[in-house]
Amino acid sequence: MAQTAEAQLNKVVVVGHVDHGKSTLLGRILLACGKVPEDRIAHVEKICQDRSVQFEPAFLFDALQEEQEQGISIDTTRVNFEYEGHRFILIDAPGHLEFLKNMTSGASEADLGILVVDCNQGVRSQTERHLKILSMLGVRSVIVALNKVDQINYDQSIFEQLCESTRKIIEQQDIACEEIVPICALAGDNIVTASANLEWYVGKPLLPTLICVAQKIALIEKEVTPFRMVLQDVYRFSSSERFFAGRVESGTIRVGQDIFFSPSGKVSRVESIEKFGQPECQSASASESVALRLSEQIFVERGEVISLVDNAPEVDNEFRARLAWLSLAPFNPDQDYLLKIGTAESACKVELLKDGDDAAAQPESGSLSNGAFAEAIIRATRQVAFDRATTGGVIDNFVICSTFETVAAGVVDNRPVHTKRSLKVNPNLRRERGYVERKRFEELNGHRGTVLWMTGLSGAGKSSLAKELEAALFERSCRVVVLDGDNLRFGLCADLGFSADERSENIRRIAHSARMFLDTGFIVVSACISPFARDRELAREIVGADDFNEIFVFCPLEECQRRDPKGLYSKASSGQIKAVTGFDSPYQSPQRPALRLDSSKMTVSQEVSMIISLLEEKQVLENAKAEADQYLIKDKFTLSAHSDG
Amino acid sequence: MSNYLDSLENESIFIIREAYSRTKNLGLLWSMGKDSTVLLHLVRKAFLGNVPIPLVHIDTSYKIPEMIEWRDRYTKEHSLRLIVGANKEALADGMHPSRGRLTCCGALKTQALLDTIKEHKIQALLVGIRRDEEGSRGKERVASPRPESGTWTYKEQPAEIWHYYNMHVPETVHLRVHPLLQWTEMDVWEYIRREKLDIMPLYFAKDGRRYRSLGCSPCTGTIDSSATTLDQIIEELRSTNTTERAGRAQDKVDTYAMQKLRSGGYM
Repeated sequence: MAQTAEAQLNKVVVVGHVDHGKSTLLGRILLACGKVPEDRIAHVEKICQDRSVQFEPAFLFDALQEEQEQGISIDTTRVNFEYEGHRFILIDAPGHLEFLKNMTSGASEADLGILVVDCNQGVRSQTERHLKILSMLGVRSVIVALNKVDQINYDQSIFEQLCESTRKIIEQQDIACEEIVPICALAGDNIVTASANLEWYVGKPLLPTLICVAQKIALIEKEVTPFRMVLQDVYRFSSSERFFAGRVESGTIRVGQDIFFSPSGKVSRVESIEKFGQPECQSASASESVALRLSEQIFVERGEVISLVDNAPEVDNEFRARLAWLSLAPFNPDQDYLLKIGTAESACKVELLKDGDDAAAQPESGSLSNGAFAEAIIRATRQVAFDRATTGGVIDNFVICSTFETVAAGVVDNRPVHTKRSLKVNPNLRRERGYVERKRFEELNGHRGTVLWMTGLSGAGKSSLAKELEAALFERSCRVVVLDGDNLRFGLCADLGFSADERSENIRRIAHSARMFLDTGFIVVSACISPFARDRELAREIVGADDFNEIFVFCPLEECQRRDPKGLYSKASSGQIKAVTGFDSPYQSPQRPALRLDSSKMTVSQEVSMIISLLEEKQVLENAKAEADQYLIKDKFTLSAHSDG
Repeated sequence: MSNYLDSLENESIFIIREAYSRTKNLGLLWSMGKDSTVLLHLVRKAFLGNVPIPLVHIDTSYKIPEMIEWRDRYTKEHSLRLIVGANKEALADGMHPSRGRLTCCGALKTQALLDTIKEHKIQALLVGIRRDEEGSRGKERVASPRPESGTWTYKEQPAEIWHYYNMHVPETVHLRVHPLLQWTEMDVWEYIRREKLDIMPLYFAKDGRRYRSLGCSPCTGTIDSSATTLDQIIEELRSTNTTERAGRAQDKVDTYAMQKLRSGGYM
């Protein structure tokens, strides 16, 4: 099918330091594409005549009297424009520090940036600040327009020096510098067609470059993100029927699927997807505004995040974040602020973790002034749902408001807040060190120690796999121990139930056990559901990242429910037990496991050999005796693949 | 998968639902023109066929007569709740564009709107303005707070980041919520065609002329046109080289006429 202009819509924000020519460039682009109505041009011509100034393309954007009088942009605006069949929304962003909230308002929707840099001045303070804002907002690609190239006499060597320094600054912010184009915005040089003044320049003019980069971005396959929908409201019009209205933020939902609400933890099933004027809607995907009818009437309110039960967001009342302060009122650590995340709201306190890295913007340490960046812990009074890289979802941006004003924008940080869960150690304790180091145990064992941390739903096949793996490693003369979640609940963890906190404690104990075996050179196979990403992250920390191999034993929920080896799902559906993962308690799928095994498609022996390959790859088995026939206990290997399946 | 009209529609519905959920006494400012009629359709979509909010029409008494006939027929046909606001004092006093177009707009539109908002305790109003209409509208926010005086503090607008619109406002402040801000004139017509919307006949050419934008009869002109169908209107707009509001006299009184009107609370 031919690609239509609609399919390639890009929102492009133009950023840069004050007076480097952002609005002029935007005006010039519009004029060059011949889409500005004659009477609007005549209007600007008249203004310029009245002011006795040269025709100023910026006035097409900076339409406010104050902006034209002072020659600045006060607020952001957006203009639709079409070039060669591509439709763009150009977003103008003011450069002055005091208008930073306006710049951020415009840029927050962009998926691509044009950074305007004045050739005379190079990178300046607002250039860098704008790049930091773009980076925080999630804009990952930038085209540089090196403006006013006429004022450096179209000099190639000056241009190249500027390229180098600009590229460096951009890449520091984790943004790709796609292309650098020399232009003169006021004269319209090298915007649409190649300039006669720039014979040495081999690249394309700005607009053709924009098209190329936009096409490139469109080709980058969006990672498959888990389903997320934010609940805006629950409608009950004439009938008693309830409609759960909201927007799909990522992924896809289909009629008949089981859904999970966070933070309330409620579950239900999608009976129908309602879009007025579109009966028989079977599915809804990212950015669609829909309403769901549910097969089970549950009470939930605005603020919930809807997901699938086996791929849920995190729920907590605190999280780490990076934020940008956007208010002229300084930050106050004692103030109660309002957190808005998804459609949820909660009172919160903001605790700065360290001073923002922008010394100029903050006169005193521990405070934040307009335009400063900081790392912080947001402590909300209520539980809220959110995503981090570990849960892979898109509910990761938020704003902080004081009474009637948005004062900061932020993004949830990857690192969890551990303060609540890390227990206080008595300061009088001292660690006793043994005489034998791990390395010597490993020499004795003939292989290195490591931890294989299996995670997956009940019935996915973790225990079966662990047993087979134990036998296979034993066959290779390896020292191996299986920490089976259910077995540990008979002893070490017998006092624990299945609440979120108890599940966390369970994981903490298993992780510390794993660590002890690891320190004596064992290959540790942990097989427990470990449903929460943050608990697995904690386990990773306890074990040590180098030795922690997350193995995602995947199996579709429906298949797990069919297998139901322990009868948990059927007991849960008849209401005999509660807090069953995948039924009424969420599971958060690993986003970057060391290995993902689909037990609905693979046999256990295939899974074992993939894990052995992983161990070989990591040189764990280097000195292990591969041919250790004498240890072989043949009858252990007659176990059928997935006895529970 | 979605085309551009779908993404505009989804975004607008999201905004409408936010306003309905976050504010008390939401209304829809309806001029019976193409934009606010599209907005009305989007409200219906947002609420699954229902229109749970009242429509507000500011009647200057100078509207083109067909508009009022069409208004009454349409509201009756669709059983819509309609609030009609007017500045009766100014009308009794004989207010007319001849006393100055901006003075007239200020009295019969802005003041009438502010009085109606106050009288009916409306906290938020959906308004169908678009960024591409004229320069000062280009600078608008989706949710724009206005004090009792209606003043638009365009130099100090609230931050509006991602989808976090500022809908918390003090009791005395009302909100103008703009779900169509990112639509263009062309989008509106293409959407009307796609959704087969019932639209005011004045937009179609009669005897070689038609209205491109509708307002009060003394200040709104027609354009030369032979477009009698939606297809022809869209075709005509593709080749036009003038702005949509070129026929609106009040815009031209002064270089910054619309900014002045709008900073005083005009829609």
